[in-house]
Amino acid sequence: MANIDALRQEVSRVLSEKIVDVVLGFEAGSLPTRNQPVFIHKAKESKRLVDNGFGSNNLAALLAQRPKDEKIGVICRGCESRAIRALTVEQQLNRENLYLIGVPCRGIIDWRALERAVDGEILAVAEDGEDLLVTLKDDEKKLARAEVLHSACRNCRQPDPVGTDVLIGELPAREGLAQRSPDVAAFLGKDADARYAIFSEEAERCIRCYACREACPMCYCTECFVDHITPRWSESMVSKGGTQAWHIIRAFHQTGRCVSCGACERACPMEIKMEYITDRLNEDMQDMYGFEVGANDSDQPPFAAFSLDDRNRFKE
Amino acid sequence: MSAKPHFFLFQCQYCLAASDDQHWVENDLPKNVKLIKTPCTGRISPMFVLNAFQSGADGVLISGCMPEKCHYIKGNLGARRQLDEFARLLAYLGMQPERVRFVWMNVSERGRIQQEVVDFEAQLAALGPSEKFAAISASGNAGGRYGQY
Ligand code: SF4
Ligand code: SF4
Ligand code: SF4
Repeated sequence: MANIDALRQEVSRVLSEKIVDVVLGFEAGSLPTRNQPVFIHKAKESKRLVDNGFGSNNLAALLAQRPKDEKIGVICRGCESRAIRALTVEQQLNRENLYLIGVPCRGIIDWRALERAVDGEILAVAEDGEDLLVTLKDDEKKLARAEVLHSACRNCRQPDPVGTDVLIGELPAREGLAQRSPDVAAFLGKDADARYAIFSEEAERCIRCYACREACPMCYCTECFVDHITPRWSESMVSKGGTQAWHIIRAFHQTGRCVSCGACERACPMEIKMEYITDRLNEDMQDMYGFEVGANDSDQPPFAAFSLDDRNRFKE
Repeated sequence: MSAKPHFFLFQCQYCLAASDDQHWVENDLPKNVKLIKTPCTGRISPMFVLNAFQSGADGVLISGCMPEKCHYIKGNLGARRQLDEFARLLAYLGMQPERVRFVWMNVSERGRIQQEVVDFEAQLAALGPSEKFAAISASGNAGGRYGQY
């Protein structure tokens, strides 16, 4: 977590020195467990900024809609900085127009898990080191932050921002970050029928609201495959075929592109798990092509870059 | 479902140089095999493969040219990366991996496609009908575009 005063100060500075036109960050939302993205235009507005575990969005998802020539500052955690890199590699963003303000990340709290962990309405939440102090109507509760961390953050391999222009605060020492998703390993540990049962159970709860797509920094297509009418690539209904097709193809489009931020899952009103699919696809890309999303400013994702070296992979 | 497995053959139009083979594919394929001819394997979207399984197919056979032999230079390389991973994804989600098969042809391999079709059919017959991912309801109507072929 960045020192909030230092963060606000830097934001005021870059705005008043006209280094940027606007800064994107989080402000407090209408409920104590939710932040909302905010565009700060004036130095004095920077006091609206907050930095805590309730910023569920991946802010990089909001950049695509901005005017092309706008100079924009972005407050970035690890996943946001990786998404911005990936979007730059895919030529969706012009890095020169961005000023990236890195902040150390301690992970996003799964507000639904938090609400389930306490009884009654949450009036306020304060972060105190590794603990959360939750104020309820006539009670106060102390919870370990780790207990209610979102799974994407629990599994995060790279919480520290990369390629930023400035870093506010100090990066904590990181130890024992898992390099492979334990959720993928657990899924693979089951037999094919059990895997299909889990996938169906997840996918078929989908109400096709596409909140997951809207929340995703890498889903920037002006026309998504599910919105095509002719040809219609997948059933548009909330049917087995339609929901499965959405989940399979959406995930597949993220192969070697997903930054594992978990914004899709946090946005989903049905609490559908999606990262066990995208993380596995990314692990495949790493194993087969040594590709890691957001690792540098140049490597194209594997489906955009192929070569005759692949001939050894043609078995038949 | 009849005893014979149903499957799709996605065929790149350049992979069979022998006109006999192309003629066979276009006219004499067994009735349980549906041909989808494409300009190049690069044209085969993973969504075609998914649509095949959703419409009740038991398998998908993809036939294209060897790495250096692509008419469009690199179409098969892009196709290979994507389709191979897509097949792995379906397997990860519970499908038997043997239901998708790739055949990368050298144009000189006369008569190979016939053998591949026979072999693949035998392989699918051994697996039995595919139920996962099929989107057709008992009435044979998914309410959408999927008819039983
Ligand atoms: S698919 Fe989900 S986890 Fe991956 S980048 Fe998009 S929102 Fe983040
Ligand atoms: S699901 Fe695929 S087609 Fe739709 S917006 Fe995302 S990447 Fe684009
Ligand atoms: S957010 Fe959830 S319910 Fe909505 S389309 Fe995505 S997976 Fe389906």
